[in-house]
Amino acid sequence: MRRLRPTPLRIAAGIVVCSASCTSIAYAASLGLGTNKLFAWSQTLTKGTCNQTYTTLDDTYVQQSSKTSTAGGTATTLSVTNGNSKQDIAFLRFDLSGCGIPTSGGADSATLAITVTTGTSHTVSVFPVYSSWSSGTLNWNGVSSLTIGSTATATFSGTAGTKTIPVTADVDAEVKAGAFWGWELTDTAGGPRATTQIASAENATVANRPTLTFSYER
Amino acid sequence: MKKLTSTVGTLLTAALLTVGVASAASLGLSTGRLSAGSTAVPGCTASALTATRNVDNSGNVTQVNVTGVPQACAGETLAATLESNAHASLGAASTTVGACTGGCTVTLTGFGTVAASTVMSLAFSVAQ
Repeated sequence: MRRLRPTPLRIAAGIVVCSASCTSIAYAASLGLGTNKLFAWSQTLTKGTCNQTYTTLDDTYVQQSSKTSTAGGTATTLSVTNGNSKQDIAFLRFDLSGCGIPTSGGADSATLAITVTTGTSHTVSVFPVYSSWSSGTLNWNGVSSLTIGSTATATFSGTAGTKTIPVTADVDAEVKAGAFWGWELTDTAGGPRATTQIASAENATVANRPTLTFSYER
Repeated sequence: MKKLTSTVGTLLTAALLTVGVASAASLGLSTGRLSAGSTAVPGCTASALTATRNVDNSGNVTQVNVTGVPQACAGETLAATLESNAHASLGAASTTVGACTGGCTVTLTGFGTVAASTVMSLAFSVAQ
């Protein structure tokens, strides 16, 4: 077996071959060919805020003890009460249609703020509502025909004061559905009856009325 | 002998260069396309798709839904990246496009904890 000596010609040939091969590999890698992409694209998002006040708020409460009453629609406070046969349930929603967000958009963050004017030691649960209602017509008998989420979005203490409740997932779903039916507030505690009073859209103290801090993308 | 050495060297160089060029051509480099996959998977291409994302109550992205993925992409890998304003990756996930009729809807999960408010763009790719 003859030993190959490194002649100038052999060295030159080696350099040429190596350069060509290395260049090809580098070029292929820069194009991402290692993953063999078929196609790619991107989508830019537009961000905005659309905070809500009582001007787009509709709220009411219904009374088990007065099943056809719609008086809660004009009350200055929303009553949330536990107790057999005497339960009160509150509803509130904001009309976000003025925000002009398409159903392909969504919520980045949404926080509901309410003020408990007369507190209790009870816990109030917040459930999403998925069907149409209006404070002018909703009464106790009408609640059974509503579609209401089975899992509470959040809960808060019924003690007096301002409560901030994260509702981002619910509002995100509302944007995608193009319908804004808000929430049901209930108190399912056992034991002695107690009533949590929440300032409504008609409350004399404007600062106590519910608000929704809302950031979105589209 | 010197002539033979020169001839062998020249042939060897030519042969290796030819192999290199042929290999590059099979990857579609001569046309400047991303790959020859468009030939291997006809119809798996789109100029734009529609994507939405869901969030949890804390405002973190839970999933990204991509609609309109061509049926021909079934079996390929769809990857999505959540990007910041500077196009830095905030989270990424991928999944295999399932079989479907018409435009496929693909759901991607597992982006980690990424606040939706920080996501300024979504980048996608379909690859073999």
